[in-house]
Amino acid sequence: MRIGYGSRRLRKPFTLWRRRKKKRSFPRRLFCPGYSTVHETYRLANLDFTYSNLVIGIRRYASEIDGECFPITAPDGGERVYAKFCRALGDEEVKKLDVKAKSNGLIKDPISVLLQLSEKEAFNKALQTSSEDQNETTSAETSVMHEKLWVEKYSPCSFTELLSDEQTNREVLLWLKQWDASVFGSEIRSTTEEVLSALKRHSTPSHHKKSDSSFTRKKQFNRWSKESYGHSKNADVSNSNTTDDIDLWNKKSKLTGPPEQKILLLCGAPGLGKTTLAHIAAKHCGYRVVEINASDERSASAIETRILDVVQMNSVTADSRPKCLVIDEIDGALGDGKGAVDVILKMVLAERKHATGKENIENGKTSSKKERRTAPLSRPIICICNDLYAPALRPLRQIAKVHIFVQPTVSRVVNRLKYICNMEGMKARSFALTALADFTECDIRSCLNTLQFLNKRKETLNVIDIGSQVVGRKDMSKSLFDIWKEIFTTRKMKRERSTDASGSEAKNFDFLHTLISSRGDYDLIFDGIHENILQLHYHDPVMDKTISCLDSLGTSDLLHRYILRTQHMPLYVYFPSLVIPIHRRVAQIQKPIIEWPKSFHRCRTLLVEKQESLRSWHHKIPPYIGRHLSIKSFVEDSVSPLLHILSPPTLRPVASHLLSDRQKDQLAGLVMLMCSYSLTYKNVKSDPVLSNLREAAASDASLLALDPHLFDFISFKGHQFKHHVLALAMKQVLVHEVEKQKILQASGGSFGILNKPEIKKINQDLARKTNAASNESQRNPVTSKPPLVSVGIATTSKPNSSDVKKASRTALNFFDRFRKSRKDYEDPEDVQKRATAKRDSRPLLFKFNEGFTNAVKRPVRMREFLL
Amino acid sequence: MEIRVKCRCGEDECSEWAIVELQGVVETQASFEGSIQNLEIGRLCHTESSQETYTFTVGYHELIGSKVTLKKPLLVLKKLQLDEDSGKGTELEVVGIIRTKILFKTRPKPLISGNNLSLSLFCS
Repeated sequence: MRIGYGSRRLRKPFTLWRRRKKKRSFPRRLFCPGYSTVHETYRLANLDFTYSNLVIGIRRYASEIDGECFPITAPDGGERVYAKFCRALGDEEVKKLDVKAKSNGLIKDPISVLLQLSEKEAFNKALQTSSEDQNETTSAETSVMHEKLWVEKYSPCSFTELLSDEQTNREVLLWLKQWDASVFGSEIRSTTEEVLSALKRHSTPSHHKKSDSSFTRKKQFNRWSKESYGHSKNADVSNSNTTDDIDLWNKKSKLTGPPEQKILLLCGAPGLGKTTLAHIAAKHCGYRVVEINASDERSASAIETRILDVVQMNSVTADSRPKCLVIDEIDGALGDGKGAVDVILKMVLAERKHATGKENIENGKTSSKKERRTAPLSRPIICICNDLYAPALRPLRQIAKVHIFVQPTVSRVVNRLKYICNMEGMKARSFALTALADFTECDIRSCLNTLQFLNKRKETLNVIDIGSQVVGRKDMSKSLFDIWKEIFTTRKMKRERSTDASGSEAKNFDFLHTLISSRGDYDLIFDGIHENILQLHYHDPVMDKTISCLDSLGTSDLLHRYILRTQHMPLYVYFPSLVIPIHRRVAQIQKPIIEWPKSFHRCRTLLVEKQESLRSWHHKIPPYIGRHLSIKSFVEDSVSPLLHILSPPTLRPVASHLLSDRQKDQLAGLVMLMCSYSLTYKNVKSDPVLSNLREAAASDASLLALDPHLFDFISFKGHQFKHHVLALAMKQVLVHEVEKQKILQASGGSFGILNKPEIKKINQDLARKTNAASNESQRNPVTSKPPLVSVGIATTSKPNSSDVKKASRTALNFFDRFRKSRKDYEDPEDVQKRATAKRDSRPLLFKFNEGFTNAVKRPVRMREFLL
Repeated sequence: MEIRVKCRCGEDECSEWAIVELQGVVETQASFEGSIQNLEIGRLCHTESSQETYTFTVGYHELIGSKVTLKKPLLVLKKLQLDEDSGKGTELEVVGIIRTKILFKTRPKPLISGNNLSLSLFCS
């Protein structure tokens, strides 16, 4: 404290420092060059070091200090002092401080250094452990990685190398080329001079029309001309075409628009090169292939964005070729793949609608505007599937151009395999390769994979049992149609047959057995056999083949029934073997036309329907009749006779007063009968079956048919029933009468009052006629009834008297029985009469006036009473 | 104008009448047209229960009604023509006084008469 002046000044910043330290933040104003030194000196002071040598330098004014100095400002007072900078001394003190600090427990290294260290340590540790663990595996991996799959390595890279069927290849390419006009904006074919001149006349530089489809071909052209189609003249055409007049362009686009079917559907067994063809062909035509695979997300929204992206966007990157969408394995994922199908369908259908609308609109501009809105499909889409008949693809099949891949010839496959084997230095005899190709059904992928696998294990291809050797195949069970086809056709087994016949038989047996048992749907398989077997043209003069086949089917039915009843599921094992005798008997070389089994289901639904209608009708019949009538016996015995009765040929459709007494009786009888069996005629829409049966009535819009349609129960395919069909007018009369009769019966009590005189008369007549029934039947020999009728009726009806029973006039027979029940109704009628008589005996009756009173209130003068 | 009302009986002994008010009309059967004298209209019964109900049977209808007291009582008068004494033309004689009416305002209940009829109806 040599300088009292300075000491007082010094204390201020010093206290400041202590306070600040507590707050753990430094005043901004203290930030200055050399701040850290100041900091250190303060700490120094804090630890009761001698700070005189430093402190000496603090002055009020900077000018007082010679040499380096820095300002220090106190925050509370705003006083500023200047400290002399003494570097050497400061450093020394810092070192001292550090030592001291360490002894106090502070860390030497800054935290960042420590963090780095720990990180490094952890890294080292991890490195060590991983290297210890995976020493071997990594080395193995690297060796595998060196080798590409042969399938990829030798996949064809140009159109000419394609292995698949030439015809299909060409057609796919043609289809793709059809897009050229709309995608690239110009057709490859040379344009006529006339058009060219017209173009030159019309072309205006200001009119720069850039439609979606007029993809600039200019850029691409040089490259393509090198490749395959170099018409140098076309460059000019395409240039002028971009600045085309709209009308002309429309006309042209109509001529050379995208192909009719905008979607190509390739289908076929795995390994035939569908995907390869799609890629190669698209590349060949100058498209950039965008593939959506089974592994991609295929929900509807995701696929839509992708398709739109492909169809509408042009990428700005170097590869500005138009894109071609390849959707691989579209049938694979049913749930999500269906989404893709739906999106595509929607786009195509929108396009169709737009196309139809376009014809109406002549103005080109509006059409182009519309084009933008509906997002038409302007790029080719190729879909690839394995199973053409997958249910998800049904709608797509109708609008797409379908190409079914056939197996390439074995020789082609073998040639390619041989070539690859040579290239790889693997020796394989062509005989073995042929066997392999045959076994895998020309699935070149599985062939190559097998070869590569064998090559890897240093084995040679064994001809004798390829099946036992590892042949990687894409997992897939055959469709039902394929199975049926296999059953009904003989496989070509030339080679095996030449070696030994019994072996081929056994092989065939095994093949079919595994085929069917891997599929599983035995029920359906047998249904399909049953449906199709009789349509086959196999040579069978004495029907013994048919008999044995049907025998097998019967056995399968029995077995199936037994399994279902006893739940012995293990017995299902024996189903596939039942197919094999059928195959042996029936199989032929030519391919059958196989239909999906529908008849069983159809028959079943029909049966249920008819049973239901019969049952409901049976419930409607009054129980005293219905109980004699079991549905089974009715269908088997009495339908036909009943129909005969219901449509007597003697009834004439004339006015009722023109009918003779006998005819009136007949009519009344019929009405009664229909009533008691709760039959009536009903308006039906003229359905084709009916109109076939009744040609005469077919022209009528409204047909009257029996309400429970009894004719259904006796109509068989190809069987014309001989029943007389009543005329329409007669039916109408009957409907009317039956309705009337029903009402009468319903209001049983008021029978006598409401009964119309004519009906009464008929009733009386009938009562009289029953006695003379036998007479009548003699007089009326024309209406001959089959003997079955009386028997059939006798079971259902209860004849009231023996003398009427012998009468063959069954209508009356029915009526008699009904009349007997009518006698019960006689009684209430009498009583009713008595009641009315009794009522009439009362002199006065009360008539209730409801809702109002007749009393009139009006003012009356007293005078009126007096007068 | 002066109206003389003559009452023979005393004030208390004046005979009480009642009105039967029907919601409806009593009609004669066609066979009894013109000879309504001495015909029984119906049977009016009075039941002595908690509330007084009256049943009135007309023809094959039964009416159920109640006794209602009139707000203003009515007189039943008889007009007498006095021709001899020309000075006084007419004279009214009190026949009775009406204080209540029996009101049948409900819908009549039809009666099904005779056991055999109901039985036969049941049969059918």
